[in-house]
Amino acid sequence: MNRAAVLAGPCLLIVATALVGSGVSRATGVYFITALVSVSIVVALYVFIGNSGVLSFGHISFVAIGVWTAGVLSVPSGEKPAIMPNLAEPLRHTTVGNVPSLALAALAGGLAAALVGLPLMRLSGLAAGIATFAVLEIVHNLLRYYEKIGPGLNTFSSVPETTGIWQAAIGALLAIVAAYLYARSRFGRQLRATREDPPAAAAAGVSIYMQRLLAFALSGAIAGFAGGLYVHLLPLNTEAVYLDLTLITLAMLVIGGATSLWGAVVGALAVSALDSFLAEAENGVKILGVTIDLPAGTRVIVVGALMALVLIVRPTGLTNGREFGWRWHR
Amino acid sequence: MSVLTLDALEVRYRAVQAVRGLSLEVHPGEIVGLIGPNGAGKSSTLHAIMGAAPIVGGDVRLDDRSLVGLSPENVARSGVALVPEGRRIFAELTVAENLTLGLAGRRSRTGASDAIDRVHELFPVVHEFRGRSAGALSGGQQQQLAIARALVAEPDVLLLDEPSLGLAPRVVDVVFEALAAIRDRGIAVLLVEQRAQRTIALADRSHVLAGGELRLTLGPEDADDTDRLVQAYLA
Amino acid sequence: MTLAFFLTIDWQTLVDALALGGIYALMAVGIGLVFGVLRLVNFAYGQLVMAGAFALALGSQWNWPTWLSIVLCFVVVLVLSALLDRIVFRPLRGQSPAVMLVTTFAIAFLLQSIALIWFGPLGKIASSLAPLNQPWSIGGVDIRKISIVAIVVTIVCLALLQLLLTRTTVGLQMRAASLDFQTARLLGVRANRVIAGAVLVSGALAAVVAVILTVQNPLVTPDFALQDTIVVLAGVVLGGLNRPIPATLGGFSIGFATGLLGGALPTAQSQYLPTFIFVAVILVLLVRPDGLFVRRAATERL
Repeated sequence: MNRAAVLAGPCLLIVATALVGSGVSRATGVYFITALVSVSIVVALYVFIGNSGVLSFGHISFVAIGVWTAGVLSVPSGEKPAIMPNLAEPLRHTTVGNVPSLALAALAGGLAAALVGLPLMRLSGLAAGIATFAVLEIVHNLLRYYEKIGPGLNTFSSVPETTGIWQAAIGALLAIVAAYLYARSRFGRQLRATREDPPAAAAAGVSIYMQRLLAFALSGAIAGFAGGLYVHLLPLNTEAVYLDLTLITLAMLVIGGATSLWGAVVGALAVSALDSFLAEAENGVKILGVTIDLPAGTRVIVVGALMALVLIVRPTGLTNGREFGWRWHR
Repeated sequence: MSVLTLDALEVRYRAVQAVRGLSLEVHPGEIVGLIGPNGAGKSSTLHAIMGAAPIVGGDVRLDDRSLVGLSPENVARSGVALVPEGRRIFAELTVAENLTLGLAGRRSRTGASDAIDRVHELFPVVHEFRGRSAGALSGGQQQQLAIARALVAEPDVLLLDEPSLGLAPRVVDVVFEALAAIRDRGIAVLLVEQRAQRTIALADRSHVLAGGELRLTLGPEDADDTDRLVQAYLA
Repeated sequence: MTLAFFLTIDWQTLVDALALGGIYALMAVGIGLVFGVLRLVNFAYGQLVMAGAFALALGSQWNWPTWLSIVLCFVVVLVLSALLDRIVFRPLRGQSPAVMLVTTFAIAFLLQSIALIWFGPLGKIASSLAPLNQPWSIGGVDIRKISIVAIVVTIVCLALLQLLLTRTTVGLQMRAASLDFQTARLLGVRANRVIAGAVLVSGALAAVVAVILTVQNPLVTPDFALQDTIVVLAGVVLGGLNRPIPATLGGFSIGFATGLLGGALPTAQSQYLPTFIFVAVILVLLVRPDGLFVRRAATERL
């Protein structure tokens, strides 16, 4: 297996996307930046779901925690009372710069995931799916109404928009490298062993619980980091990090191929491309002289149908669960 | 009544070949034993007949009708009944309800209550406990229920997967006596068992299966010939 | 606090809570029946209710008589249920329950968006049964007719269902299939027939729920019943996913508790209700995965 290729493939794709995205108009560029932020989220999903084979249905809650952490700490002090009037004292006076906010978002995501994972990593299958979905609901409910820690129902409108094409690209690259290093490490391999053949792995002394917890915490950190990137890109509220984002990021992972890093990246970029095109089409777009004007909601239908189709017909996704560079050696 | 024929049967689960080229026949009114060590492919054979295991070669026939490719419920409805390993009764349903479920495999629309009466004769305990929850029965009673449940379908062929498993010797007597009575009714019985000697003594013919292959065929007269048996098991 | 709590519960709130409990109990049965035979958690169940509600809205828009609108509602829901079974559930058979959960999640969004395109975000009004939203005066207290109707309908439906499950062959086969599908098939029980039966009954219940809910909320929007489904799912898990009676009790309890607490508590405290509910779900999954109302030890791993 060409190890360098496994990492190089996704990285080159990110760089290529960033190069193209930096050359287009500002309006179109937003799609590229969003796509790159999506890559970070989907890579986070892959780190846990792809390696463990366990569904985390509520992972977007860690993205949300990252959004809140980076957002609350980045809004300039003067602007805070406007959108967050009931903010707790220490948060009211603390403002950090761009990079620190992203680091703290990652930390918050990782810690939250570790805490949540402590009880939940004992679960498998449907129980894990339902329990992690419950986490999503809890986080959504708390963030929405607990105004001491954030804007509650309001939108994060005054966050400095520091996520341009290159910040998003670097962020995606960092996520990819982290995921790659983890997957290659002893921990990643042990976790994959528990996915492929649980009794054999247990017999070999692998602690399923510990390995899952580790992956969950790491993926929570990457998700939190992605949330930080996200809030520096667009004004967000609780609904933006809830069910719709869950659907589209899971779709990206499933369609690309849940069990490989390449699948996560390809899925995120491909579905983003499709979604962006459909979003434009919903607003009316001209292609080769033909005007396409799709009704609002088409995007969800297409993405949802594709995801269901892939799960029914080819559950391993576009990449068939293979990493970039495997083709030549398997 | 029908003849069950296995013709060079091959059963494979993904990469594991469970049964290789197994051929045997079971005629009405006879008990054919299938014995052998653990993992020999005995259960797989029964599951394959019922359409619940992947058949990759050979044939399973009821008279001249092939059963390969039929879904489990359709095999059952063709007149083949299975008493599964571990009994697999519905513990949360009553004994009577368990019995009623067995009627699903019947081929004729009439005579259901007669069939039930007949199994009540054969296994009085099933009649006695008909209103009780099936989970409250002892192991031996559950085994009798499982056989009764298969019989109410009035099958031509009865398959049994290790019916004596976990039962006390006295209870095994009861079960084996019932099997003899079932044979007398003209049903073709294929009996998979761990208890080699008792099976060899009861059955008209006993096939020894090891590693998925038929190694040896023994008759009741060989019941005390332990040397031959051990040789066949270890070969 | 306790005394004040009880003082703020009036008859209207109590009856409404019972009604909500009833509605959620019906939805819980619908979800539980299909889970029993297919091991599939249908996240899109609320969308079936939504489809029925839109049918009622169309009927009232076309000025159809009420009974005809209700017939249309049933037809639409049953057809949609059958389609879902054929196109989605059947090919998924044999996949893990987690995969099925995610797929039905995607389908839920898909159906919601189809409704969005067809009916627009503002929704439609289903007004045929509006008179039922009027109050009855009982002993000097005003109680909305629909709440009483909901309770009665729930009791009737559950009674009919119990008869179906215990007195008919199909019902017995459904119960057996949800306990041990493989063995049931080996006995000759037709898999497709049992599954079709469960899907049908589940659909009929969704249609009933659609009728009741549109009286209380005549405005039908594409996300009609989505949040209800999530709460009902929580209730089913709390009660016991694997068995019909515990699932029903779970659905009822969560509906009743939600209705009672939502109506009796001031907003400041009731807004965190979802948090409590879902923390309870997590606790149950960790400690008593078979549910709070299941007595027996004989269980299957989720």
